[in-house]
Amino acid sequence: MKRNSLFKRVTMLSMASIMTFSLVACVEKEPSNAADSASENGEKIIKMGRVTSANSKLPEGDTYEDNAYTRLVEEKLGVKIENAFEGEGEDYTRQVALAISSGELPDMMRVDSREELKELVENDLIADLTDVYNENASDYIKDIYDSYDGRSLEDASFDERLMALPATIGDEAPNMIWIRKDWTEKLGLEIDSDGDRSITLDELEKTAKAFIENDPGETGNPIGIPMAYWLNSGSYGGSALNMTSIAGIFNAYPRFWLEDENGKITNGSITEGTKQALGVLSDWYKEGILDPQFGTRTWDDIMALVTNGQTGIVTGPWHIPDWGLSTVREMDKNADFEAYSLEDENGKVNVAHTNPTGAFIVVRKDYEHPELAIEILNLFYDELANSKDLETDYPEVAEYKELGVDGSTRPFNIEVLKSDNLLFDYSTIMGAVNGEIEMGEIASSEARDAATSIKKYTENPSDADTADWSKYHSRVKGMGLIDKLTKEDKFNWVNPVYFGNTETLEKKGANLLKLEEEDFIKIVTGAEPLEYFDTFVSNWKSQGGDEIIAEIEAINADRSNE
Amino acid sequence: MLLPGMIFLFIFSYIPMFGIIMAFQDYIPAKGLLGSEFVGFDHFTYMFSLPDIGQIFSNTIVIALGKIVLGTLMAIVFSILLNEVRIKLLKKSIQTVVYLPHFLSWVVLASVVLNMFNLDGTVNQILTFFGFEKLNFLGSNKLFQPLIIGTDVWKEFGFNSIVYLAAITAIDPGLHEAAGIDGANWWKRVWHITLPGMLPIILLLAILSLPNILNAGFDQIYNLYSPMVYETGDILDTYVYRIGLIGREYSFGTAVGLFKSLIGLVLILSANNAAKKYTDRKLF
Repeated sequence: MKRNSLFKRVTMLSMASIMTFSLVACVEKEPSNAADSASENGEKIIKMGRVTSANSKLPEGDTYEDNAYTRLVEEKLGVKIENAFEGEGEDYTRQVALAISSGELPDMMRVDSREELKELVENDLIADLTDVYNENASDYIKDIYDSYDGRSLEDASFDERLMALPATIGDEAPNMIWIRKDWTEKLGLEIDSDGDRSITLDELEKTAKAFIENDPGETGNPIGIPMAYWLNSGSYGGSALNMTSIAGIFNAYPRFWLEDENGKITNGSITEGTKQALGVLSDWYKEGILDPQFGTRTWDDIMALVTNGQTGIVTGPWHIPDWGLSTVREMDKNADFEAYSLEDENGKVNVAHTNPTGAFIVVRKDYEHPELAIEILNLFYDELANSKDLETDYPEVAEYKELGVDGSTRPFNIEVLKSDNLLFDYSTIMGAVNGEIEMGEIASSEARDAATSIKKYTENPSDADTADWSKYHSRVKGMGLIDKLTKEDKFNWVNPVYFGNTETLEKKGANLLKLEEEDFIKIVTGAEPLEYFDTFVSNWKSQGGDEIIAEIEAINADRSNE
Repeated sequence: MLLPGMIFLFIFSYIPMFGIIMAFQDYIPAKGLLGSEFVGFDHFTYMFSLPDIGQIFSNTIVIALGKIVLGTLMAIVFSILLNEVRIKLLKKSIQTVVYLPHFLSWVVLASVVLNMFNLDGTVNQILTFFGFEKLNFLGSNKLFQPLIIGTDVWKEFGFNSIVYLAAITAIDPGLHEAAGIDGANWWKRVWHITLPGMLPIILLLAILSLPNILNAGFDQIYNLYSPMVYETGDILDTYVYRIGLIGREYSFGTAVGLFKSLIGLVLILSANNAAKKYTDRKLF
């Protein structure tokens, strides 16, 4: 009996102590504002969160913390960059999440989504950069951001205050139709009757039919055009295997916020054009032109179909040869693709501008020198980018370019480029390939790599590496098509009016996307008739869509009033 | 000697319970549990205002009930039949074969099931061979639930039968002998001796599985479903996973989890009472 009560007491005591400890552990630490932003010799210090890359090609002895770029910053701005943490991909995201949840932010770091940025703003953790930007940013930098009609800076602003430096994403439209060229040649198909690399829906349909009937891949089980079940994406460059290009024919832009002809805000997913596009897909499904197992295939399944040679038609952005189609070439040395755009009745290619931002550079709220962020921006994205003679001005940086050192070794691992940068890149690459300019003159190492690869490929296409093959396809065929369409003025650009998040969008957006995914699949596979689209629209509106539209209208009205 | 175990239990099972607070807050990681704003039952009202919630609840319960009922039936029938196998080697090898799938995870088994049941899969090849139409098992709202229940029963019935086999062996063989002498055939003996002998265990296990009525098996469904079958395949867990992950709604996820636990608690308490009433065995 006695032993029993003693035991009880010990247990109670230990439980009580554990409980106390655990409660103590729950109490947060005060964010450390200790301003040790200067080293012993009076030099300023930036503690930075750095996004790294696995194969940075840094010369021996150099690190992310100490390399040509950070030494340049030290020399030019008198600032020493120390790494608060480094990480790649998921690992970096985790580090940032840890930093946010512990409230101990580095002086500067990159965040990769507007949601994260919003969290930082709401918790009052980061500095307002409006004034330092206006005072310090160079004209060229301001030009870059202006080339996005303000969309870029707007994305980094909250209540008209600039809270971060946005990276820029240029337009990458349209989503192209990539067709196996070796197959069309084998079957003697004439896809593009007028030879302008824009095809009609009819021509696409005929090609798909011919592929299914004749099985040029000789697999015994050819299937039609594969599409991912989500069918749409809010950006052009971000994903492939969607219906964006087909919707474009009907002047529809699913998942983009647009203004309709009456000046009212609407979402591309609920427009009449989207209904027509779904009608096409549903007919295709019935006739077997669309993959009969559409809706249940994963991304990997679909890529396997393309790689096995069961299908030879893929929709995707200009860069899909680099990461998707390259596996096809790896398996089949004869594989060759041609990129086409889909044109509407008037011969136009309809596309929407993409969300111009993705990543952001933020500065800790109490950091003493927020202007340094702008100075780094000026140094790298203006002075360095516009240097006429890199060799003499910045010999160490020039050497890095020569060695092909990854751009991620710069203090800010973001791109800040004008909106037409893609076409600019294309013209430099082609200039170098055609021998009009020297390879060494290309400033961006990526473009130079591409130019070298393309040259190798064009000299000897049959023995070329997969890497050279994919660079050739993505640049010459993909970018080349965009360049051609731009020069011929075939694009019909649509300007989405909103890219951000609203309160309701945040809460109900996921559910609306689910509704859209499900109902579109039902319509395409014939589980519901096309008329069901109208039911979808009214459900979409009543389940939060109308609220979101009202919110966006209010936000946009606020903006135009100022 | 109990102490290390209790401390362990306390640290890993009781302390995390404070996290339940999240369900009543707008949890923001930077502010932590103590700093986040309280919103009361907002997340619960939101949960019940979701347009699909009724569908999702009924899917969850149908799938879970189907698994419990069919799984139990299969296990009982199988154990009775296996008990009749007199050749020891044969009995052991049958047991090994049917236990095996229990030890494989759904991540592995899903690819087997997908290969068997997709449009070009083995099952459809057999169907077309006999002149039937192809069936889109994984993309049909009619066939998806049977597929989920069927494959789960296949995976688990062997393992579940272990307890029933033990119950059967505990029945006094004298009863069977006596019945045999009285002229009862095999079927009658099963009906009047084996089954009544197993009844307490059957009831106990069935009642114990009730609290799992809202656990329809996340990993199985997550690995097999697609948007085409959200309508009949989406269960509470998969729905919360998708919505919670896309919207980063930590608090909402916690609220749903808490709600599930509440239903589980109610069910386990009533099950305990029911067990006492019908089998005279009580858990606590």
